[in-house]
Amino acid sequence: MMRGRTDRLHAQASDYFSTSESPAVKRTDYYWLRLVGTGLWFLVFGLVTFVLGFMVLPVIRLLTPERSRRQRRSRAVLGAGMRAFIHGVSDLRLIDFEFIGREKLGRPGQLIVANHPTLIDVCFLLGFAPTASCIVKAGHFRNLITRGAVIGAGYIPNAPTEDMIHEAERALREGETLLMFPEGTRTVPGKPLLMQRGAANVALRAARVLTPVHISCEPSTLSKNLPWYRIPPSRPKWTLRVGEDIDLAAYRDAPLPIASRRLHADLAGLFAGATPVRD
Amino acid sequence: MKSRQEIFDIVRRSLVELFELEEPTVVPEARFDDDLEIDSIDAVDLVDHLSRIFERRVSPRDFRSVRTVNDLIDCIDRLQTQ
Repeated sequence: MMRGRTDRLHAQASDYFSTSESPAVKRTDYYWLRLVGTGLWFLVFGLVTFVLGFMVLPVIRLLTPERSRRQRRSRAVLGAGMRAFIHGVSDLRLIDFEFIGREKLGRPGQLIVANHPTLIDVCFLLGFAPTASCIVKAGHFRNLITRGAVIGAGYIPNAPTEDMIHEAERALREGETLLMFPEGTRTVPGKPLLMQRGAANVALRAARVLTPVHISCEPSTLSKNLPWYRIPPSRPKWTLRVGEDIDLAAYRDAPLPIASRRLHADLAGLFAGATPVRD
Repeated sequence: MKSRQEIFDIVRRSLVELFELEEPTVVPEARFDDDLEIDSIDAVDLVDHLSRIFERRVSPRDFRSVRTVNDLIDCIDRLQTQ
C-alpha cells in the first residue's frame, strides 16, 4: 500500500516536471557559429582586460602622475576597449543593438542611472560615455585582473556605504559624469526589480542632472545565474533608450532622507516597466 | 560645550525633522536599526546633518559602534571634548 502511494507521488512529480519544461524552440541565426563566436569573444575580452589592466594602465599611471589627467586617459582607454568589444560582437552578427539618445550622456555633473539586465550593460554605457566615472563592486578592487583598471580609472567602490556616498558626491560636484546601476547587481529575468536607495540619495546631494537609461535585451541572455554558453535560440538584441532628464528641483524642498525616499520610489516606478517580465 | 541633555534634544529634533519620526519614539534606549528603522544610507545623512550642527568634521567611522540613541550621545559628547 505504501509503495502504491509513493509511485503515485512520483508520477505526479514527473508530470509536473514535464509540463514545466519549455517547448523546444528552433535554434536560428547560425546558432552553432554564434556559440563558437561568443566563446571566442569572451576569451578575447578577458585577454584584452588583462593586457589593459596589467600593462597599458600601469604605463599610463607612470606617465601621468596628476590624478585628473590620469583618470581621463585611463577612462578613454577603457572606453575605447569596451566600444571595440561592442562593435566587434555586433559586426560579427553575434548581437544586435540600438542605442537611442546616447548624445544626451556625458554632461558635467550628470548622474546616469540604468537598470541592469545583462553582463555587458556597462560596456555599452562606458563604451559610449567614456568620460564617466562609475560605481563598481568593491570586489573588483580586490580582484587581481580588474584591480589595475578600476583604480587607474578612479572608479568608486560601492562599499562601505558612507565612502561610496561621499565619493560619488565629490565626483558630481567636481563636474564628472557618474554612472550607477541602482539595482546594485544584475536582475534575474522575471523577478521584480530590487533597487537600492543610494542612487536617489547621491542624485539629490550633488547631481546637476539625473538621466535614466532603460536597457532591455530580447531574447534574454547573459543574465544573472546564466553561464555565457547558454546563448539564446535567436540572435539577441539590446535596446538602450536614454530617457528624459528627471527634474530634481521638485524633490529638493524636503529634508534629504525624505526627499531621497520619494525620488527612490519614483525611480523604482519608472524602471518597473523597463525589464520584461516573464511567467 | 553642550550638556548631554542639550545633545539629546538636538539629536531628537534632527531625527524628527529628517525622518518624520514621532517625537515620543525617540528615547535614549531606542535602537537605530530595529526601533527607528534607520539604515546605513540614513545614517550617513544623519551624521552629515549632525556634523553641520556641531561644526565638526567627523568621519562616519567614529560612529561605527553606535547602536542606540544613547550611544550616539556618548559619541558626540566624546567628540566635543577632543
